[in-house]
Amino acid sequence: MIALIVASYRSFQSRRGWLVLLLLVLLAGAVVNISQLQIEDSITAMLPDGESHVAHDFTLLQKAPFARQLVINVTATDEVSSDDLLAATEALRQSLPADLFLNSVSGSGDVAATPLFKQLGDYLPVLVDETDLQTIAMKLLPEEIDRSLAADLAQLLQPQGMVLKEKIRRDPLQLENLALQKLANLNPIPEMTLKNGHFISLDGHSSLILANTTIPMTDATGGRALLDAFAAASRQLPVGIDAQLISGHPYTLANAETIQADMKLVLLVSGIGILLLFFIFLRSLRALFVYLLPLFSMAAALVVVGACFGTVSGITVGFGAVILGITIDYGLHVYFSWRYGSDNLGREQLLRAVSRPVLFGGLTSLSAFAVLLTSALPGQRQLAVFAGTGIVTALLLALFFLPHFIGTGKEWKSSSALQLRRHIYDRKPLLRYGVLFLWLVIAGFAAIQAQKLTINAELRQLSYLPPKLQQAEQQLRETWGDIRSRALIFASGKDLESALQRNDLVWKQLEKQGVANQVVSLAPLLPSLQTQHERLQSWENFWQQRQATTRDLLQMTGQKYGFSANAFAPFWERLGRPVPLIDTDLVASWGLGRAISSLLLVDDQGYQLLTMFPDQPELINALDSEFSQLAGINLVSQRRFSQQLSQEIGADFSRFVSLAGVAVVILLLLLFRRLPELLLALLPVLTGLLVMFGGMGWLGLEMNLFNVVAAILIIGLGVDYGIFMVCHGQQEENLASSRAILVSGLTTLVGFGALLLARHPALHSIGLTVLLGIGAAVPTALLVIPAFRPKRL
Amino acid sequence: MLNRLRIKYLLLVFLFCAAPAYAEEMELAPLLVELKLSSTQIETLSSPFVQEKYLDIFAEKLLSQGRFAYRKPDLLRWELLTPVASGFVLRGDQGERWNRLSQRQESFSVKKDPVMGMIAQQLLAWARVDLDWLQSRYRMELQKLTPVVLHLYPRDKGEAEFIDHLQIQFSADRSHVVAVQMVEQGGDSTSISFTAVEINSELSDSVFQVPDQ
Repeated sequence: MIALIVASYRSFQSRRGWLVLLLLVLLAGAVVNISQLQIEDSITAMLPDGESHVAHDFTLLQKAPFARQLVINVTATDEVSSDDLLAATEALRQSLPADLFLNSVSGSGDVAATPLFKQLGDYLPVLVDETDLQTIAMKLLPEEIDRSLAADLAQLLQPQGMVLKEKIRRDPLQLENLALQKLANLNPIPEMTLKNGHFISLDGHSSLILANTTIPMTDATGGRALLDAFAAASRQLPVGIDAQLISGHPYTLANAETIQADMKLVLLVSGIGILLLFFIFLRSLRALFVYLLPLFSMAAALVVVGACFGTVSGITVGFGAVILGITIDYGLHVYFSWRYGSDNLGREQLLRAVSRPVLFGGLTSLSAFAVLLTSALPGQRQLAVFAGTGIVTALLLALFFLPHFIGTGKEWKSSSALQLRRHIYDRKPLLRYGVLFLWLVIAGFAAIQAQKLTINAELRQLSYLPPKLQQAEQQLRETWGDIRSRALIFASGKDLESALQRNDLVWKQLEKQGVANQVVSLAPLLPSLQTQHERLQSWENFWQQRQATTRDLLQMTGQKYGFSANAFAPFWERLGRPVPLIDTDLVASWGLGRAISSLLLVDDQGYQLLTMFPDQPELINALDSEFSQLAGINLVSQRRFSQQLSQEIGADFSRFVSLAGVAVVILLLLLFRRLPELLLALLPVLTGLLVMFGGMGWLGLEMNLFNVVAAILIIGLGVDYGIFMVCHGQQEENLASSRAILVSGLTTLVGFGALLLARHPALHSIGLTVLLGIGAAVPTALLVIPAFRPKRL
Repeated sequence: MLNRLRIKYLLLVFLFCAAPAYAEEMELAPLLVELKLSSTQIETLSSPFVQEKYLDIFAEKLLSQGRFAYRKPDLLRWELLTPVASGFVLRGDQGERWNRLSQRQESFSVKKDPVMGMIAQQLLAWARVDLDWLQSRYRMELQKLTPVVLHLYPRDKGEAEFIDHLQIQFSADRSHVVAVQMVEQGGDSTSISFTAVEINSELSDSVFQVPDQ
């Protein structure tokens, strides 16, 4: 390979024009290709795919009613009456553009105007379960009948008696309450009541609007239009009333805007920094070619990833851009060796000498990234191809093209350059012990602190969370209860009946766990037909045994309280009537259509019934063991999802580091063939990683997806530094490696360390990690390796 | 010619029909202002009452006796002493009701219990003589001027399904209500007479608590 590089150099030495032409043609082709690329903005690229549990859970979590809905919390000051609040809420709802805010509602509609309360009691026989029948049996005891009729009499004597009279005739023993209780499990908002059919908080100072939208949560442009329309509508709200939109869109937009603002600042700071480095260390227009290397590599990487995957993940592009910072290394090494290296043996010999570490540096990085191909995250697999292509492109450009365009330097002859070649340890030999001691102290401290480091895979941690939006979410939680982060159970079936039967099973389990009153489910009100038939049979058996006795008791006790002989005729008339069955159409006719559409999902796979319940670890564990053996029932928990994602990311990262480590060690063995050199070459990368982990542990930071990718950058650069410094020590040629490493390290620190100024947590996190890792790897390469093994002169 | 006669006839009929209604409105408006002014001095109200219910569901007329108390702005007690000791107290939005016969006692919130919310609103409106609210809910007709007797017809369709009309009789000095009759759509009716109304007497907080067993 090295012979090919040298031969190519020799051939094109007098035909540079062809090289420029080839480069321009390739670049033009890449630009055309990139302009047609489809960039995908979904976070799913960073979630495990395929058959993994986490990917499956993530898909299911997206189906939660409040995850796919727009929630508008309207709040009023104490001075505003609840009637005025509801009027303003309705006006706001109507002024929201219907093409952006689909099917908006500010209440359940006037359920009282539907036949629900008149009809529900008729369906009691198919709604009551065995426990309810026991309750009814208790209510039929003589003393309980006496108590019920006394209560009825008292009610009738009270002012409200007029309204309740017909109901008492129909249901003197208050059995309908058992049917009414089934409605309680339909309310997805714990702290909500209804006023004139509108959602209103218990304190009367907040109301809600729910709506759907076709704009994806990740669409920043669409999100802008949505928020602008909402802001325009909200401006019409009267004084004392305020509205907040809670959905993924404000976060997407806030993130996009923060990243834009951050990038302006970061690019300005890093631009100034790189310019300073250029004037201090390079001072030549030809050095600009070196800085073009990452840009060319990125273009090639985009083209190849686009060709391999069709669409490119936005996250891959972002991470890839960071990682390809590594490619500037190869250019800098070629540049410095060419400009500052000793060319006593001629240019070809110099190229031969520099090609070896550059090639091995590239190969180690390549093998490290190749390991990412085994990742469970599709975004990381894309990243592997992206980085691999970028590295290969950079190597080709650095070794085949760059030597023709950076010219030959005369600087090495200057006294300052000669001075530079003499290492500081030659002038101050004792300094090496001081450096080694300091290195040991720092590494030891970092090793201790690194044990505190934890992994956090909470997806929200990766986003910028504006305080105002967090406050709005907090207010929503305080006013309406925790409506957005409950655990979910999906009961699926190819047809509605089989899904309903599984839903009945889920409900029974939740009842067994004693949390039925905290569950949102259709099962109590819409049991499967099988369950309804079974209940009907039990109901008939129940009354066959008790009807005659109950009739006598009711008559006798009624007389005692002054009721007329036919007072409860409607009760007996209903008991003798055939009982209809409940279906989805009937429930919808009761004004509960929205509950059905929230909890019953239909797609081409079949039917899914959704149950929501508190996300409590003990409950999740208990239910998990019950449901794990049952087909068609899936339990998903936000909390467990984050834990599993953490585990998968942690496992992925450990596997990646160990496999990459093995690959790097094998390549270093091939290159150096001696253990001491191998260990020396590994020093910068190990120190960089140790300081990064230790620094994060010390600062109380957690490892996230972004740190994992930043760690890859540190591994790539750190190994390169090690290879170059060890080669520099071994080879007779002076390749000006120290200066190349210094400039490479400083460029990386300025370029990515400037991200420390970013407000966005992901960018800030990358900046901090790079600052810690490269900040440790560069001095280790420049000072610690020579301290162990001075250059042979 | 025939057409002209028809028009004159129709005009006459219209004038005859419209005149009493117009006169009534003319009489009612200042009367309502007077009733409102007379009631502004009321801080507390308390009175025993007798209630007669003629309901189809009962074999006979049901007579009961009780006590009513009100203290500004939103304290209420409605209590039956016979035949069943039962009733409720209301303090703002929150209330408690009891029934000694069934030995049940429970708290309620008028925000969560729409029936109790409606009852509380009605009772408070009568105690305060909140004629603005009542006029928004009922069409009023003056039946008699001395003592003042009004007929109220519900404007709300839901309420009109239950109530045909209410008959309200005011005290001679027109400061408070002394009798209410509620006639339901099916013919059932309830009459309540407040027998010895005390105005602005001292009513302690304990009056608005659930009585001891």
